[in-house]
Amino acid sequence: MKNYDLITPEGTKDLLLSECLGTRVIEKCLMDIFRSYGYTEMITPGLEFFDVFNLNSRYFPQENMYKLTDNKGRLLVMRPDSTMPIARVVATRLRDAMLPLKLCYHQTVYRTEPALKGRSDEIVQAGIELIGSDQKMADLEVISMAAESLKAWGMEFSLEIGHIGIFKELVGRLDATDKEKERIRKLIENKNFPALNDMLDTFGATPVTAALKKLPGLFGGEEVFEKAEELIPDDGNIIALLEELREIYTSVSELYGNEGNVTVDLGLVNKTDYYTGLIIKGYLQGHGDEVVSGGRYDKLISEFGYDVPAIGFAVNVNAIAKMLAKAGTLPEVPTADVIVFAAEGCQVAALKAADKFRKEGLIVENALFDDIESVREYAKEKKIAKVVVIDGSGEEL
Amino acid sequence: MDKPIRIALTKGRLEKDTVGLLEKLGFDCTAVREKGRKLILPVPDANLEVVLAKANDVITYVEHGVCDMGVVGKDTIMEMKGKFFELVDLGFGRCKFALATKKGTDFYSGYGIKTIATKYPNVARSFFEKKGMDTEIIKIEGSVELAPLLELADGIVDIVETGTTLKENGLEVIEDVAPISARLIANTVSLKMRQAEIEDLIKKIEEALK
Repeated sequence: MKNYDLITPEGTKDLLLSECLGTRVIEKCLMDIFRSYGYTEMITPGLEFFDVFNLNSRYFPQENMYKLTDNKGRLLVMRPDSTMPIARVVATRLRDAMLPLKLCYHQTVYRTEPALKGRSDEIVQAGIELIGSDQKMADLEVISMAAESLKAWGMEFSLEIGHIGIFKELVGRLDATDKEKERIRKLIENKNFPALNDMLDTFGATPVTAALKKLPGLFGGEEVFEKAEELIPDDGNIIALLEELREIYTSVSELYGNEGNVTVDLGLVNKTDYYTGLIIKGYLQGHGDEVVSGGRYDKLISEFGYDVPAIGFAVNVNAIAKMLAKAGTLPEVPTADVIVFAAEGCQVAALKAADKFRKEGLIVENALFDDIESVREYAKEKKIAKVVVIDGSGEEL
Repeated sequence: MDKPIRIALTKGRLEKDTVGLLEKLGFDCTAVREKGRKLILPVPDANLEVVLAKANDVITYVEHGVCDMGVVGKDTIMEMKGKFFELVDLGFGRCKFALATKKGTDFYSGYGIKTIATKYPNVARSFFEKKGMDTEIIKIEGSVELAPLLELADGIVDIVETGTTLKENGLEVIEDVAPISARLIANTVSLKMRQAEIEDLIKKIEEALK
């Protein structure tokens, strides 16, 4: 039998030195941002029952989850996402808690990705969930936090918003089966103009099909709203949604337009079963996939039996670490300031001396060699500035 | 001047057709025409950088965002899938996926499970899945036409251009699976971060295709 004892499974990796330190620094920075808005941290189990992720909306395809069974044969999954477990907690243990609830987390999620694509099955995410408010101010707070999470890295960033309601209203007016609607959604999500046009032509030339055809092209800045108003059939509901989004866009541009790129995309129609309103995406220049992803999900928690609105987002910590590594701005792993060598019989004194340095805030290594030459060599190699010898007579540098 | 937009072209015919298209737009593609063994080539007046790659790799590079855009056949897109925007049907490289069998066989008769040989297992699988038909799919790397002749398979799902190879080997198309042509794709983040330049290029391309 082949032994796999020297390698890690595909899609996983060990994080060492500055890669590891960088991940922790990024997590801390994000959590500090979240805490500064009054969010409290929570931890959910790495293992959950499959049923938590197998709701009506089936947001996660079962083939993308790592599964195992518990000692009673029940199906478990490695947490593929943190929002659903948090929704579960809110609908149960926090059901009587005062609203709004402001929760944040940083934990690993697991998803099976296609093999040999250079993707990771294990992603560290830091994120927030704001539960129990459907106010515009709640949307603005969450978008601001997403912007702060992007801007912290000194890189060019882009913050994008959309509103799933516009697509839902439009497609709801089409005399199409659910399967056809899903296909239209997919084509809009992929901005597949040729196939979308062909598909919509089969429904005749109406204002609704014309608007759906244009939807994936409606992205960019302020001008998108004017274009949309011309295109979208004169209809109270959709105009109101557009107006709502425009107000948010204007406020966010005012807040962050000088520091980054604030854009809107009416063709953001991913995960329609899950999101109910605002959608948020964040990008960093040079990273080929979104770094921040989130939105409003007012119906999700009701699937756990507690009808309460919510909005949140998650940040891909690994993606940021990768970008910082590329830019050469990952924090260096600090070297020790002092190494303390204990002569024979002076171990206790050496440990005491080392501790004294530590109390001064220094990083202190205990030398683990028999002779001082080896210690000096080690200190030189590891760039430790100071060697202290404890031999009962005093200090030697 | 901003960093050039990187566009990955599928080596071979699609590359030539795309270069033809870029030249029609008035861009100087001398460096690409006289490439020698180089794989990354500038088209300075369009602020483009052309990367030459195999079809599957075009998708991989675009998905990862190391190339902003790509030109690749719908056949590869259907087989590989992936996360990117499929913006324009370029119209060239036209052909189709089709189901072919030995001449005169009644493929759908009987209740035995059919065996299909193909270079495109995902395309074949999803085609029969939609029909609710269980099939056994065997991946073949070379001339797929051989499989039914050697009686390894009942039929093949393959790219058909003129149908000459099929005819000469006593095979015939019994059903079209999907039309194919070259597509212009873009990385999902690049389209947003470099919207103005990419949209400008697309507009010019669409003009030229009219």
